[in-house]
Amino acid sequence: MEGYIMTKRLTVIPEQCSGCRICELVCAIKHFRVNNPKKAAIRVMITYPHPVMRMPIVCSQCRSPLCARVCPADALRLVNGVVQLIEENCVSCYKCLEACPFGAIYAHQDCDLPIKCDMCGGDPECVKACPKAALRLIPEAVLGESKRLNNVLSYAQMKEIEFYEKGEKKIIRYAEIGEES
Amino acid sequence: MSIKSGYFKKHLHVDLTRGNAERLDLSETFIKKYIGGRGFGAKLIWDNLRKHDFKIDPLGPDNLLVIAPGPLTGVYLPSSGKNSFVAISPATGLYGDSSMGGGFGVELRQAGIDAVSITGRAPELSVLLIENGETTILAMPGLKGKNCLEAEGLIKERLGTHAVHVATIGVGGENMVKFACVNTDWSRNAGRTGIGAIMGSKNLKAIVVRGDKDIPVYNVAGLVAENAIAFKYMREHKYFRMWQQEGLMNVIAYANEKGILPSYNFKDGVFAKHDQINGATMLSGYKIGDSACFSCPMCCGNICLVKNGKYAGTVVEGPEYESCAMLGSNLGIDNFAAVLSANRLCDELGIDTISTGGVIGAVIEGYERGILSLADLDGREITWGDEEAILGLIQKIARRQGIGNVLADGARGIIKRWPEMDKVILHVKGLEQSAYDSRSSLSMALAYATSDIGAHHTRAWTIAKEMEQGQNWSDDEKVDIVIYHQKVRPLFDMLGVCRLPWIELGLSERHYANFYKYVTGEEASLEELLERSNDIYNLTRLINVRLGTSRKDDSLPRKVWANPPLTGPTAGRIIKQDDFNRILSLYYQKRGWNEDGIPPASLERKFEDWAVPAWNEHR
Repeated sequence: MEGYIMTKRLTVIPEQCSGCRICELVCAIKHFRVNNPKKAAIRVMITYPHPVMRMPIVCSQCRSPLCARVCPADALRLVNGVVQLIEENCVSCYKCLEACPFGAIYAHQDCDLPIKCDMCGGDPECVKACPKAALRLIPEAVLGESKRLNNVLSYAQMKEIEFYEKGEKKIIRYAEIGEES
Repeated sequence: MSIKSGYFKKHLHVDLTRGNAERLDLSETFIKKYIGGRGFGAKLIWDNLRKHDFKIDPLGPDNLLVIAPGPLTGVYLPSSGKNSFVAISPATGLYGDSSMGGGFGVELRQAGIDAVSITGRAPELSVLLIENGETTILAMPGLKGKNCLEAEGLIKERLGTHAVHVATIGVGGENMVKFACVNTDWSRNAGRTGIGAIMGSKNLKAIVVRGDKDIPVYNVAGLVAENAIAFKYMREHKYFRMWQQEGLMNVIAYANEKGILPSYNFKDGVFAKHDQINGATMLSGYKIGDSACFSCPMCCGNICLVKNGKYAGTVVEGPEYESCAMLGSNLGIDNFAAVLSANRLCDELGIDTISTGGVIGAVIEGYERGILSLADLDGREITWGDEEAILGLIQKIARRQGIGNVLADGARGIIKRWPEMDKVILHVKGLEQSAYDSRSSLSMALAYATSDIGAHHTRAWTIAKEMEQGQNWSDDEKVDIVIYHQKVRPLFDMLGVCRLPWIELGLSERHYANFYKYVTGEEASLEELLERSNDIYNLTRLINVRLGTSRKDDSLPRKVWANPPLTGPTAGRIIKQDDFNRILSLYYQKRGWNEDGIPPASLERKFEDWAVPAWNEHR
């Protein structure tokens, strides 16, 4: 981690997630060397049948982290783009668990400290292991791009364009192209 | 070599009549010999049968229900979410088991248990709660009549957490429908052999599990390295993406092409409108998400939503091939939305889609042939593709209303009531046949006939291989492949992993011996493991033999002898009695059983070690 500045974000595409929980397994193996999905810093939440959702919950590495703000012992600090748990400062009060708006910090009875994503030093195991590419490491500059593009496309759907057919000026909306008249 | 890790060496025995539960130790000999899953199940069932002198009413309090994951369940390796439910089946009266995927078995392991056995009958409708070291039996009579999904929701609400796994029965199980299933994780079912009815007979509505323990692994680094190879192989396989997208639904097109798709109650092997219920149809307008069992990159599960029409709003986890074929083409339904609706209804009511489709198909044909009268059908005519009547009949079966009360007793019950129905219902030993027509594959016919649980395809699925490569196979080769499958496939159930990466993507079975080594610390070759798996096959045969099975029961549905498929590539093909008898004798010979299918008496001694049954002494 030394000297490395995290400029990428770990993002989740819930529509891609199948709920296989391989991310949980590799996370726990990487950090604790045990086969226990309950010791992972990422968890897949599953709801069914309404709504149908499989969503991995993992730390967003907030720039203004609420967990750090409530920490009474200065054990959570934003260092090089990653919110890091300073183990020797932590008093295990778990205020951070309650403060996190996403519930992305975890506790386990065997562990003295809260379990929090450390981005595996910049190369997260969960991203590499996800068989559905539901977890991605993307540059901050790209964040939100798909939403922006969707917005553009839905706006364009309503856009009118002018064109000439046999010398006659006509107007059509993108949404009407291909529709049978 | 000894077992160094991989197990908690704990067995939870619950007596619902007395309302107590105890954690008992499992000996190393027991663990090594029976491995886990259906291996543990078979041994515990055997001991229980011996205790009751082989006189057990499947739906009585003495029938033991065993729930067992395997040593590899929940471990970081491909598709490790499997868990077996084992008991004497109410459908066949013989050994029965059903394995399910999802995450229930993983949670059970995390609660520190290698097997649960349940006996007795609770005085009130109850829920068994297993939480790390504690076990509680909660009376929850309010759950009576609730469907599986409702029950799971209500239990989670009552406990105030979503972080539990629930295995529940629906109305079908409560009414002891002989093909009732157990539903976990909302829609993962242990469907076959009527395990749900056994929970119903025990007044046990649900089992709730929560655990936090580490799943013991002897050599994590070795496991991770082995996995890297296995996962890489799978991800690079040319059909990997297809499995993620379509899952088992791709089989519809294949089965139709080969002429083995059940259509109109197996009258035909092709379905004219198969393209309206196949994987492509699902992808084009219904699929909204993927669903995977624990640690499975293949995610063969589909989640579908009906967006419009009269079934609009129906969400179902599925369908997969068996459900879609048995509730679709087998009933003449070409409307995919109706298939989804029927599948969802079966999930809610907690009845098996394969048996339900088989039974309803037989009813429609029975009526068509005049075996059943309009009065038998409670005055409501039913024909092929009549969605409304079929959905109504599913409800009636689960609720045991009218004709449903007879149908709920499965093939055996139906034949008892209307002996002529034997001509149209496809079953072996009382279990309705899976969605692979065996009339064009002698090895598949042999597989169905000799399967310990009845006409189910999981024990040996040789049909595709025989159709593609085996036109000129000798009897020897056919028997060998059946026996080989019957050795390998149970091993997967015993280890607690899914067989799909092996059978569908060709992941070498050698990996599993390595996985076993890294998890347990015991160096056992694949051959040694297969030997243990073969022992279990012999053990379940012994159970069945002691319960009355012999050569006469290793037979085939009457249709397979008498009525060939009408059209398609397999038209006109049937299994000839002579061919079958010859291959069956050869099978017995290769198994070392006598001409009547009875294993030698000496074999019994192999299983007489009373290694486990500490709980016998506690009674």
